[in-house]
Amino acid sequence: MRQTLLIPSLVLLIVGSICFYISTPHRQGANALSFCEAGQIHTLDPDKMTWMQDIRVATGLWEGLAQLNPKTLQPVPAVAKSWKISPDGLTYTFNLRHNARWSNGQSVTTADFVFAWKRILQPSTAGGYVTMLFHIAGAKAYFNSLAAGRHAGFGSVGIQAPTPYKLVVTLTHPCAYFLSLMTFPPFFPLNPAAMARFRSNGQSPAHYNPRWTRPPYLVTDGPYYLAAWKFHQYLELRPNKYYWDRQAVKCPALYVRNFPDSQSAFLAYQSGAVNVLSFVPTLFAPALLRQQRQHLRNDVHYRQVFGSYYYNINSRHKPLNNPLIRRALDMAIDKQAIVKHILRLPDRTLEVLVPPESIPGYVSPRGLAMNIPAARKLLIKAGYPGGRGLPVFKFLTNSGAAINIRIAQAVAEMWRHNLGVRVSIHQEESKIFNQDVVQGNYDIARAGWYGDYMDPTTWLDLYRTGNPNNLTGFSNPRLNALLREASRQTHVTQRFALLHQAEKLLVTRWMPSIPLFQYSDGLMYNPQRIGGISTNVRMITLFKYIHKIRPPVSQAAEANR
Amino acid sequence: MKKFIFSRILQSVVVVWIVYTVTFWLLMATPGDPFIGKKQPPPAVLAALRREYHLNQGDFHAYLAYGWQVLAHGDFGPTISYANWTVLDVIRNSLPVSVALGAMALLIALWLGVAAGVLGAVYRGRWPDVALAVGTLLGISLPTFVIGSGLLMLFAVETSLLPSGGWGSIQQLILPAFTLSVLFLAYLARLSRASTLDVISSDFVRTARAKGLSPMKVIAGHVLPNASIPVLAFLGPATASVLTGSFIVEKIFAIPGLGEVFVNACLDKDIPLVLGIVLVYTVLLVLMNLLVDIACAFADPRIRL
Repeated sequence: MRQTLLIPSLVLLIVGSICFYISTPHRQGANALSFCEAGQIHTLDPDKMTWMQDIRVATGLWEGLAQLNPKTLQPVPAVAKSWKISPDGLTYTFNLRHNARWSNGQSVTTADFVFAWKRILQPSTAGGYVTMLFHIAGAKAYFNSLAAGRHAGFGSVGIQAPTPYKLVVTLTHPCAYFLSLMTFPPFFPLNPAAMARFRSNGQSPAHYNPRWTRPPYLVTDGPYYLAAWKFHQYLELRPNKYYWDRQAVKCPALYVRNFPDSQSAFLAYQSGAVNVLSFVPTLFAPALLRQQRQHLRNDVHYRQVFGSYYYNINSRHKPLNNPLIRRALDMAIDKQAIVKHILRLPDRTLEVLVPPESIPGYVSPRGLAMNIPAARKLLIKAGYPGGRGLPVFKFLTNSGAAINIRIAQAVAEMWRHNLGVRVSIHQEESKIFNQDVVQGNYDIARAGWYGDYMDPTTWLDLYRTGNPNNLTGFSNPRLNALLREASRQTHVTQRFALLHQAEKLLVTRWMPSIPLFQYSDGLMYNPQRIGGISTNVRMITLFKYIHKIRPPVSQAAEANR
Repeated sequence: MKKFIFSRILQSVVVVWIVYTVTFWLLMATPGDPFIGKKQPPPAVLAALRREYHLNQGDFHAYLAYGWQVLAHGDFGPTISYANWTVLDVIRNSLPVSVALGAMALLIALWLGVAAGVLGAVYRGRWPDVALAVGTLLGISLPTFVIGSGLLMLFAVETSLLPSGGWGSIQQLILPAFTLSVLFLAYLARLSRASTLDVISSDFVRTARAKGLSPMKVIAGHVLPNASIPVLAFLGPATASVLTGSFIVEKIFAIPGLGEVFVNACLDKDIPLVLGIVLVYTVLLVLMNLLVDIACAFADPRIRL
């Protein structure tokens, strides 16, 4: 009877200790760097990636034909040591370097690229960014034939590998940003030998057991290899000793972590458990920026990025299919007040779709400024003076960030006060919100977009007829023609002029979306302790160059010793 | 006896099947599409995803397909939100975290709770007893997020004595384990106070005192063993609720346990993952009850009747 308390206590202690032991991460070394992502890693299959944090890790593990220079965002040689573009802009010839190697020591050859590109073009791979490969001649037809259940030969796709180190890619039309795409995960090579054992029998050729992406099976060709991946805790990246540019990789171990919410991530950063935060916590951002301005801290690296916050207007139904009403709605919003009083951040208001001054050489058109009398006149012209006769619009916003609902309330009030237009605000969980938006169950819906590549079409294509990402239902033959013409144009200036014209029409006449402001985003790290990070408009941080800087004080102390 | 065990096992199987069925149809009834995100892939890609997750041929087909997959392979296959991990992988990695946290919380609750309860009973009506009554009232009525946030402010933010969260060291375990234990600690203290009072007034305790044993020996040797029997009976249901109830604590202290994964899976409408976690908890609870029933039946023949 004496054991009544002792036995359960012992059982609890033993079970608890075993579980604690097996679930805890091992210690990271002093030189290891801990990088905190804003969200959980969803997949390490480069063909299936769509999330920012997945893509960032992928660029540390893999390397494509080219990589982005983190300062200029221009593509520079990577696995390909050089390339040649034919004068008509349709044929790209890549010469692969002979010393590019996989983390298992094998050479990276053109066969690895062909294998990977063929894999993502299988509909059963379910590649989220497969449409990026549709620039390649025959790729779209190949994908569509397979999707329709017809047999299709890969020979018709414009990808040829005459030698193991020469890759020739033919495009359907000139694509000004095709080299930038080579830095993006859907274009990364895959190691067929390492994946072979995970191929499922009897399934489609694209079907692999997802375990192939986990250590120790994952073989990559980038600066790092994946040494460990503890679910929901961290990924451990260690330098790939076979990497051709091994001496550029200075970080001996990189831990990629994430926390359930930004507050706990920030606390971990403050306590030193995390060295770099890949975001500035929204809740604390105004205070942190104030401290930075007062020179109380120097670790907030905050800037305007290639992303925007806007409202989509459903152009499918009456009366919002009338561009006059859409323009009136835009001109009645005091965007400056939203940025100043609700966001309280140095964000820039937007009158255009593509964030201005982001793309070298592209000049943004002038959009519509706030003008309440003109907006009222537009409503009268549309046949709804003072908003009379208009239905109550369904205004959809997603929960998650509290700021969304506050902006929606402010805008709703501006519309009611300035135009007499009434809306009913619906706040929905993101899964339901996304479904409603895709199915067109809304009149006005919140939207945000980050550009995938440095070209105006990453925004303008959202309004092209037939694009799955065209959520407004907007369709205009003139816009389609302009975009088509621009895609055929090889001359950069003339191409940008066509796109400028398209954007001008979108933001001054058709107004399928109301732009509100350009996103700002940032990183948090101490520049005296962490090196190799350059902030850029796309917030691309290359793990390749990131490292800890040894404090000079400790070096002196060591010398004394 | 064999017949009894057989019928109890059969009942358990039926319970698990009912839970699976109800969970599945509830999930199907919730709005939202797990595959529609911010950026839209071509329709063929969406179709391939639906096929991969058995969601292309109607709900009833999915219901049978998932059921069959569990029976045949013991797994629900890959999750939707973390495509490189199967449901079993996720549970294998996250459950130990929640179990370790729960076990430590129960251990704290058991020892502190019983000690406080006995103290209250021994000093009945005096200040330790009053303090106990106030303390347990607070422990039972204050929600976990208030206690957790308070402790976090006090020990992590203001004084930096303990880490604010995360998982990996004993220091990181102290605050969340204590937060999670408070409710059980309060219950156990009340329970052991009441049972100690019962035992203290019984004949054998009076005899022990009359023999001249010191008060300490009487408590440790005679009162405590007998007073802790109801406490042990409470541990069974407490184990279940400490495992399922750790979500808020996991959230406050950024602990990578199963609770957080489960809530995110519900929000993302990750059908295989939700089904998997619900079934694992169900099987655990049913198995515990089954073992307890069988053990009781062995001990007490009347139960078998």
